[in-house]
Amino acid sequence: MTGTSATESPLAGVKVLDLSWFGAGPIAGRALAAAGADVIKVETVKRIDGLRAMAPRPRGARGYNLSGYFNNYNANKRSVTIDLTTERGHELGLVLIRWADVMLTNMTNRAVKQVGMGWETVSRENPRLVAVYMPMMGTTGPHRDFQGFGAMLTAICGMNYLAGFAENRPVGVGTNYPDYVVNPMHAYIATLAALRHARRTGEGQMIDVSQDESSVAAMSLPLFAHDNGGGAYLRAGNRVPYAAPHGAYRTQDTPDRSDRWVALACLDEEHWRTLAAGICGHPEWTDDARFSTLASRLSNQDSLDRLIADWAAGQQGAEVVRRLQLAGIPAGLVQDAREMLEDPHIGERGYFVQLDHAEAGLRWYDGPGWRMTESPVSLDRAAPMLGEHTFDVALDLLGLSADEIADLVAEGVLQ
Amino acid sequence: MSGALADVRVIDATGPIGHYAGRLLADLGADVIKVEPPGGDPARLYRPALPDVAAPEAGLQFLLLNANKRGAVLDLDDDRGRSALLRLAAGADVVLESWRPQEARRLRLTDAELREVNPALIHTSVTGFGLSGPHAEWAYADIVGVAMSGVMNLAGFPDGPPESLPDHQGYHCASLDAAAGTLTALLHRDLGGPGQLVEVSMQEALSIAQETALQNYDIRDALLRRLGEASQVNPMNLPGFGLYECREGMVYIMTTGTAGAGFAGLVEMMDEHGQAGDLKEEPSWSFIQTQMDGANLRRLLTDEESQAETQRFLDHLEELVTAFMRAHPARYIYEEGQRRRVLVGLIATPADISADPHLAAREWFIELEDASRGKTLRYPGFPFRLQETPATLRRPAPLLGEHTSEVLAEAGLDAGEIAALEVTA
Repeated sequence: MTGTSATESPLAGVKVLDLSWFGAGPIAGRALAAAGADVIKVETVKRIDGLRAMAPRPRGARGYNLSGYFNNYNANKRSVTIDLTTERGHELGLVLIRWADVMLTNMTNRAVKQVGMGWETVSRENPRLVAVYMPMMGTTGPHRDFQGFGAMLTAICGMNYLAGFAENRPVGVGTNYPDYVVNPMHAYIATLAALRHARRTGEGQMIDVSQDESSVAAMSLPLFAHDNGGGAYLRAGNRVPYAAPHGAYRTQDTPDRSDRWVALACLDEEHWRTLAAGICGHPEWTDDARFSTLASRLSNQDSLDRLIADWAAGQQGAEVVRRLQLAGIPAGLVQDAREMLEDPHIGERGYFVQLDHAEAGLRWYDGPGWRMTESPVSLDRAAPMLGEHTFDVALDLLGLSADEIADLVAEGVLQ
Repeated sequence: MSGALADVRVIDATGPIGHYAGRLLADLGADVIKVEPPGGDPARLYRPALPDVAAPEAGLQFLLLNANKRGAVLDLDDDRGRSALLRLAAGADVVLESWRPQEARRLRLTDAELREVNPALIHTSVTGFGLSGPHAEWAYADIVGVAMSGVMNLAGFPDGPPESLPDHQGYHCASLDAAAGTLTALLHRDLGGPGQLVEVSMQEALSIAQETALQNYDIRDALLRRLGEASQVNPMNLPGFGLYECREGMVYIMTTGTAGAGFAGLVEMMDEHGQAGDLKEEPSWSFIQTQMDGANLRRLLTDEESQAETQRFLDHLEELVTAFMRAHPARYIYEEGQRRRVLVGLIATPADISADPHLAAREWFIELEDASRGKTLRYPGFPFRLQETPATLRRPAPLLGEHTSEVLAEAGLDAGEIAALEVTA
């Protein structure tokens, strides 16, 4: 890698072989790509990224290039189809290993073995390589071959047990939550640390991101409390043990929006006094022995929440948020995806980006998770179609001739 | 010192939204100095708390997310405190903070003012809504970020409130992107890139965790919302998919898909316990082996001809699976199921995780003496394992102001200046 100038992407010149699929791996690769790394995603037609086959796709449409789920997580990447389970395909995979600075995979340990991309092999080919393995339970230990998706990780990491209200069953948070930020970004952070070490010393390394450990790390306060005499955490809905009121309260239905909820948090006594007296018009609440201190409010949360809920039921949601924010109280609407997309604040900041895709058309993508003032972090190319770049990569990086490529396609090694 | 960031110094002046970002950089070896206001960071007083330790040294959230950092108290509203911070910033690689724009202007610690003392500085701002746009000055809390990002709308039961996520996922996501952005800028600077401002909005950091809500709206004009038992992951509430009560505890299972041993694997396990009923008989067994993927079932359940019969069969499966689960402990279903490649997870409590045999075999937990608090604390381990430059836990969270004079002396302040600052604080 050569010196970079201020206008270059921060990770310009970094080469990534992305052997990941579904959520957590591809999103880590997408973040590297947004920061300017050249990310080549390798799939095989035998085993494509499972998200390619998943909803949402346009009504009635079929095909592996249309899934909004897949496309959002694979922007800015190139797609190459090589069957790594064939001898020739594996050789070509190793050419890419020698090309790469980083290899990334969230396949199971079994699948990694099947495609011959274990640490012993890849480090022999490229001692400078940073190889990131993200199997669900890590690369070692008695449960190393346990497998699953994000919705199972929310169970294993303790999130189901603690999410939601005590009277309901612990069904989880409605999504494969750890897949989207927690696990990919832990992997990204570890990758950059290792890349820094490799640049300085020429020494690559293996990174083991057990998605179990990574998810528990982001759910670790209840565990830390349990292990150190801090008491048991219980399922507490929208409450926290250090602030009250703290929750979501339903406001009036309007002609264009029912099920309107406002989230608010009184993080200090001033927030509470302002809410009671200034916003709700009930200064006497703050003198009520049940609510006069944080400790008393925490002990009387049912009564407290009923007061706030009764008051909120007669209010208009957006207006309440406006008044709460003017008064300096943390508050916001529980927005749905359309409101998030049309949020004027988000719009002015240009968070979502619209990218044009040959088959899927002009679609909205999540933008990068952070911004940098001097070197661009951006998503500007829609997700690749399956194998879109096979020919180019075979020609330029694998050093194959057009005839050789045709033969390999005929043999099913390249697709 | 060891770790990939052993040569990096970070000034961490964040509130709770940014604590985890500083902790991640510290784990990788950076020297992170937590700067707190005179009364201490608010999280010092949050419950839950360490028993037998007095405030402000007992708050477990503070202790967990500020381990590995040194601590200094500076009154940034006082000119001398502000100058001291600028001295620290001048000698640092990274300043991490969570001031809203007006707050930074009031403190006279904007990006321009920080950059004046250190042009090569990586300045990372992590706030609820970012530094620009109509909501830049909005007050934020974890739950407000989760609400405004669209994530809260997906969690909960249809007839109940939307649900926030436990243990500060808004703050964690913001911190993760802040640490990631900081490292990105650092690696760029290592190669001659500029110092710069890295900016994170919690609302934006969470957005991608909406899963497919944005794409469902964009592509199909469909608005997802909270579905309770069904959930976005299993909207049809298929059998062998979701939450089951066991003899002790509960499991979450995902067998109606193509991954792992699928529903057939579960039936084999039930059969071994004599609890598969007639499911190994034809035509049930063939159906289970070939037809039990979500897309196919969706088709059968929407086709008028097959609808009623399919639903009857699925109800029958549900009944048998429910009975099987109730007959065995959750941990048995989890471990035996996974050994058979059935996708099943334990609904783990903190106690389960604390005693988990896999985490124990991987020596994940870390015990570290905290001499000032008179305890040895057990910490959750790291989210990643770097073979050559491992993360390390080197010190407990600082006492309030524990290292004030130490870090100010390192920044070149003399004894008189330091004494004056300690009085101010």
